[in-house]
Amino acid sequence: MRGNSLGANVGRFVLLFFLQVFVFRQVSLGWSGKEYLFIWLYPLFIAALPLRTPRPGVVALAFLAGLSVDIAYGTLGLHASAATATGYFRQFPLKFLEPKDGYKTKSTPEGRDLGQAWWVRYLAYVTVFYCVFYFSVEAFSPVFWQDILLKCLLSIPVSYLLSLILVSFLRPRL
Amino acid sequence: MERILRIFLANGSFFTFFGLQIVCFWLIINYNSTQSEIASETWSLYGGWFRSGKDVIDNYLDLDEENEILLRENAQLRAKLPESYYDTTVDQDSIEDEARLQRFTYLATRVVNRTPYNPNNTFVLDRGEQLGVIPGQGVVGESGLLGIIDVTTSRYARAISILHLDTRISAGLKNKAFGTLRWDGQDARYMSLSDIPEYITVNPQDTVYTTGYSNVFPTGIAIGTISEIEVQPGTGNQLLRVRLINDPLRQDLAYVVQDLFKEELENLNTTE
Repeated sequence: MRGNSLGANVGRFVLLFFLQVFVFRQVSLGWSGKEYLFIWLYPLFIAALPLRTPRPGVVALAFLAGLSVDIAYGTLGLHASAATATGYFRQFPLKFLEPKDGYKTKSTPEGRDLGQAWWVRYLAYVTVFYCVFYFSVEAFSPVFWQDILLKCLLSIPVSYLLSLILVSFLRPRL
Repeated sequence: MERILRIFLANGSFFTFFGLQIVCFWLIINYNSTQSEIASETWSLYGGWFRSGKDVIDNYLDLDEENEILLRENAQLRAKLPESYYDTTVDQDSIEDEARLQRFTYLATRVVNRTPYNPNNTFVLDRGEQLGVIPGQGVVGESGLLGIIDVTTSRYARAISILHLDTRISAGLKNKAFGTLRWDGQDARYMSLSDIPEYITVNPQDTVYTTGYSNVFPTGIAIGTISEIEVQPGTGNQLLRVRLINDPLRQDLAYVVQDLFKEELENLNTTE
């Protein structure tokens, strides 16, 4: 599962897609008929796309990933929208989290150059952005800002922690 | 051209993102019922704002003055329409009988306003104190009852409808059994008649009449027919469901029943 080859990325997508759709889809907590806690893991796929991927390519791949999750969830367009936005947004945290000597785009076997600390920060940006964007699109109107806020507050920590745990196993090479 | 192409290439991710977002929103609005409802609702709310902004621009193009002139002319013409006048002609009708004294007179009115349908319906009539309308007088339609006058001004009167939770009307059957007619706020077509003793035989489709005991309505106005009979266990009474013969919420013409003997009868009622 390491490395940045096409196979690794496809494998990562398949794994995250199945985890998202078959495991974490079952997890949703809420009260009074509304669900407020969701776990979104597959944005990790977008975050973990190789650094050398052209940016429009990242956006397009994110769109496709979101669309496939949408088809599984029956919410056509919602995840696609959030994922596309995340794919576009990814370049900004990447830019200001860049190490002093730049990213090493040449692959090294183990890829320890981007440590756990780097991933902690990077994933925080991606997860928060994804959740805020997704729940806003889901509510579809700023009128429901309280719902959006509540869902974000409950979902972000859980999604973030799970993504961190998962990324320490996958540790992709960017 | 080359520059445009260069801008496009340099911001490829933004344009991809933007184009795909449009696709996403198109998908969201077309395939998700909640979001499409919100979208159309939002459009109906802010579409007006958008259009009014457009109007401002239109007016800015020297149409303002033109509009003003036309508006004034319209207002002038509208004031000349028959609806703008308060009708002072009085249509009064009364039961004429040589052998008896006149007791009730009827004043023809129109319903000019009414509350939206709710458990406490009221309506406003275009006749008031000037023509002797006072609180407590009954209001009847071409058939059936409409309500009871509640508040009056010099030209208008407000009546509480019979479809009002506080309404209590004395009503009875042909065989002189009587009880209290009230509305439970549920179905505008039905009222319930309570306090009819259990031993009185009541048949479905019997007509319910006003008793006239409360000096609000004359005796013997048909209110409705009995549709259901329910014995109230332990009270010795039965509860009758009355299907109204009229629809009080849709009546336009109304007659205010003025009881010429009301004061006299009330004196009698209050004397210890």
